[in-house]
Amino acid sequence: MKSHFSVRRRLLVLTGLVLTGFVSSAFSQTVAKPATASAPVTAAAVKPVRIGFSIAQTGFMAEAAVSQINAYELWKDQVNARGGLMVEGKRRKVEFVKYDDQSKPEQSVRVYEKLINDDKVDLLFAPFGTQFHMAVAPVFEKYKFPVVGNTAASVVLKQVKPGYIWFATSAMPDRMMVDLVAFMKQNGVKSAAIISNVLPFTKELRNFLEPELKKAGITVTVSSEYPPDIKDMTPLLSKVKKAKPDAILVLSYPMESVMYSRQARELGVNAPFHFLSLGPSDAFYGKAVGKSGNGLITMGHWSPRADWKGSQAFLDDYRAKFKDSPDYLNSALSWMSAQIMEQAVAKAGLDRQKIKEVIAKDTFDTINGPVRFEGVQNVTTPVAFLQLQANGLQLVWPSSIATAQFQPKLNWDK
Amino acid sequence: MELIETLLSGQLLFATLVTGAMYALVAVGLNLVYGTMRLLNVAHGDTLILGAFTSFLLIESLHLSPFVAAPLAALLGATFGYALYRGVFRGLLTRLGGQTVALESNSLLLFFGLSIVLQNILALQFSPATQSVQALDFIWHWGEVSMTGNRLWALGCASLVCAVIALVLKFSAHGLALRALIEHRDAAQVVGADIDRLQAASFIVGYGTAALAGALVATLEPFSPFSGFPFTIAAFIVVILGGLGRISAGIGCAFLLAAIETYGVALTSTNLRSVLLYGVFVAALVLFPRGLWARKAAK
Repeated sequence: MKSHFSVRRRLLVLTGLVLTGFVSSAFSQTVAKPATASAPVTAAAVKPVRIGFSIAQTGFMAEAAVSQINAYELWKDQVNARGGLMVEGKRRKVEFVKYDDQSKPEQSVRVYEKLINDDKVDLLFAPFGTQFHMAVAPVFEKYKFPVVGNTAASVVLKQVKPGYIWFATSAMPDRMMVDLVAFMKQNGVKSAAIISNVLPFTKELRNFLEPELKKAGITVTVSSEYPPDIKDMTPLLSKVKKAKPDAILVLSYPMESVMYSRQARELGVNAPFHFLSLGPSDAFYGKAVGKSGNGLITMGHWSPRADWKGSQAFLDDYRAKFKDSPDYLNSALSWMSAQIMEQAVAKAGLDRQKIKEVIAKDTFDTINGPVRFEGVQNVTTPVAFLQLQANGLQLVWPSSIATAQFQPKLNWDK
Repeated sequence: MELIETLLSGQLLFATLVTGAMYALVAVGLNLVYGTMRLLNVAHGDTLILGAFTSFLLIESLHLSPFVAAPLAALLGATFGYALYRGVFRGLLTRLGGQTVALESNSLLLFFGLSIVLQNILALQFSPATQSVQALDFIWHWGEVSMTGNRLWALGCASLVCAVIALVLKFSAHGLALRALIEHRDAAQVVGADIDRLQAASFIVGYGTAALAGALVATLEPFSPFSGFPFTIAAFIVVILGGLGRISAGIGCAFLLAAIETYGVALTSTNLRSVLLYGVFVAALVLFPRGLWARKAAK
């Protein structure tokens, strides 16, 4: 009968689709399969050190997480080229056990529990993003497994119970906005336009920025917010252009930073002090916007400095391996966290309690200079800002670590 | 007065035209595929991204000009659409053609699977990272209006293609046959329209325009393998507002939506963008269930 026939066909098609769905999600999982031993096993039965982590390889965070995965992979290559991680006087090769968390914090939690209980890894690295750090911090606390966090920045981090997680960044919104306003005052800014994304991080920035501006007596001539899916900023930018402020402060996420730059350039919207919170520190921004972005100030506390050992080498090696510049925020932080763990393990071996004690007390030598933690926070790295200049991203604040002078942004075509 | 000033702003008009032309181009392909075959192509945005990556490869690796890369991307999209038609959908349509409900549900699942496969193949090939193409970024000033080259190119190319499609549909014999197919499938078959060729043509033009739109989008904004979905949504809104299968009405609606978005936001606040867009969409659906330009059904 006709209807019987079409029911069977429909079932077939349905099965086909379900299989397609599984195959394609399996596709993305194969990318995340735990790395099998790539290094040849040396003569003596030296077991490799297995380091586990979850990372967003699919989903909306995946693009940004690339900067972190790359830094981890580069670190592993270099450590293994040296013979391996120094553990109790012996060098042991490093192997990664990584899984895709699909940009879902709850998935990340499951991954870390699996890594600790099933895969029984020796060490753990941090996932990508503030939300993910926050989600997995309780897991590290529960299993007393020390992890050095990196790509997380929010005052919410201060609420995390100190113990088994530390946050390497200095880009904390509250301290950053105080410094940003001080930076502006130093350059004679009297009026400012603020436009910001409504998402959590930039909202946090705004919440700390506005009172600071008020305290400093800087007039806010335009204050607008925009949704994350904004496609056209023309009306917003026309308003800013008319106001002619001394400073334009764009609290953006990387995804709309390029669109902002191109549209602001098209309309000729500029100010000598032009701040774009997230975006310019990543390689794709330079490729998308080019020289016209020069003069923009952005968040960041790392740039190669002669007195920060390995900083130039990191930049050169990253570029050589990935044919792209690292993200000056995320990649640098990821590398720093790996360095800290490496140094802690060299001193304390693989005993988790001993590692924890070392990380909590010692000062570490990283590509961003010395790092020491008090509670969960990095207290040695200062809050800083980068500026896109003709010869790349330069630290322009504070003067104690600046690699170049601040240059006012004259227009969009330099 | 600020209201008058806003409405007369040349810059806002330019922004509206560019946005409208892009919405129109993105929607026209979806409209054709749905209108002729009742196939719910939720992978439309991902086809667009495929076109974007093609253009990215052609411009960045082969150093072709965007004027050459766009038609080539469209060609690739069209070929892909034809292959999809011959390989998957022709059989499905032969068996289920006319059974709208069955077609819609089956095709929805099929295209959903296609969407996931496309996204992940692109992510495996190019990495999930955001890419961007820097091209045609000289700025042209006309009076008080500034126009970036790539936006002008997008406006010109998208408008031209939409105009050509609308004209062909209205004035050529093939267009007439296609419109007949859209309006009444069985009757079109009875009067001798070559259903197979028309369906193939819909796929070819539908996927070709999606890929072309992608090539234009590549120069306008950063994109990634997973950023296709918002385009699918935008296309669906335009298609539903204008009436399913009504191509010219869809094009008109695209510009209307762009105007609401640009001027509405300029007069209120950027935060209200989604409220305005979806609010208008919902209101239009409630007041005009068959689309803003729907003719009364023939008796």
